[in-house]
Amino acid sequence: KIQIFCHQMSILQHNGSSVIAMAGKNCVAIASDTRFGIDAQTIAFDFSKVWQISDKLFVGLPGLLTDSQTFSEKLKFRVNMYRLREEREMSPRVFSNMVASLLYEKRFGPYFVEPLIAGLDDKNEPFISGMDLIGAPVLAKDFVLAGTADEAMFGMAESLWRPDLSPEDLFEVISQTLMSAFDRDAISGWGAVVHVITPDQVITRTLKTRQD
Amino acid sequence: MARRYDSRTTIFSPEGRLFQVEYAMEAISHAGTAVGILTKDGVVLAAEKKVTSQLLESTGIAEKMYKIDEHVVCAVAGITADANILINYARTAAQQFTYQFQEPTPVEGLIQTLCDLKQGYTQFGGLRPFGVSFLCAGWDKYHGFQLYKSDPSGNYGGWKATSIGAGHQAASSILKSDYKEEITLDEALALATKILSKTMDSTQLGPEKLEFATLTKVDGKLVLRTFSPDEITKLLETIKSTGSDK
Repeated sequence: KIQIFCHQMSILQHNGSSVIAMAGKNCVAIASDTRFGIDAQTIAFDFSKVWQISDKLFVGLPGLLTDSQTFSEKLKFRVNMYRLREEREMSPRVFSNMVASLLYEKRFGPYFVEPLIAGLDDKNEPFISGMDLIGAPVLAKDFVLAGTADEAMFGMAESLWRPDLSPEDLFEVISQTLMSAFDRDAISGWGAVVHVITPDQVITRTLKTRQD
Repeated sequence: MARRYDSRTTIFSPEGRLFQVEYAMEAISHAGTAVGILTKDGVVLAAEKKVTSQLLESTGIAEKMYKIDEHVVCAVAGITADANILINYARTAAQQFTYQFQEPTPVEGLIQTLCDLKQGYTQFGGLRPFGVSFLCAGWDKYHGFQLYKSDPSGNYGGWKATSIGAGHQAASSILKSDYKEEITLDEALALATKILSKTMDSTQLGPEKLEFATLTKVDGKLVLRTFSPDEITKLLETIKSTGSDK
């Protein structure tokens, strides 16, 4: 049950999550913490908020985790139908527009998620975008982030990110950004997973972090 | 005198027939033949294309074979426009199942859903039935590889080997004599090709006239393959050279 404590600020802080996506040179990376908690209690530490949509397209859905799960399933439905009808993969840009559109459909009863999209289009150009819970999009060249540790992540990302990072450097930058930030957040953390997407492959790594 | 009872779909004739449904099946008997064969290693679907013209833009969109989901493919015979509606319905139904249960839709369940829709058009609404028959090949963890045939009445059955369309009677009689339960996938491809060559009008077999699809397991992973024109050419050459085209 959702307990209402006097210090709870919003439904987006009921579970706790941190997700970040960054662009590099011909690659993108997206990472999230893996805590699944309800208010102050931690239930599991293997709940990633990043879902794979297709070979080179990932979406991170921090926020209320039940909506994160359900919304990702809705997105898979739509992407599968697109793939069957169009006989091609949905590009990240089109996917981003669709996510924004689906969120706005629920303008007065929204999904409590703040999506981050990371992928490579069919020409292997990096694409990242983020949006709020009702679908206002941001197309960034550098990074996008969301979650309960967002302010801490902003500080880290702004200092560490630089253009044209290689896949290995991008992995280091995104990991350090995420970990240092969620270590300052009580309800994010308990492990992390990082996906680095390059034209040839996707490398997924789990990070060893403080388990608190 | 039969004419009096065929203007409404939702009326039986005195002999207990639904004329609109029978007329729909008549429409399908003019369509290109499609053959389906179930083997231990997978399912083969082969079909003859009726719309062939040099002027036709050969886009990726197929005429006879349609993927419904990652584990289901079907061949159609009949009115293509009607088929498109049903294919879309089947695709949506498959995704809805997966959305609700987070697993691939069982093949028979999908066929039932599709047939329930078709049956509705024979009993309610006064709208004509869909003029389409399907051969659906699929795999699920409950029953393995399966092949189903459905018709405009909304009836369906599971088959080891069957056919629909113009040449279906000739095709089915060849299947009755040549099909064996131990048939391999390659033998099934050759048999399907042989059947189509016998039922088709033209003597020359080529990628412009044929479509193939197979559903098999490679290294334990399910592989749904619709053949490109080049792959069809290669397949026909292989069959000819191995002399199985007896």
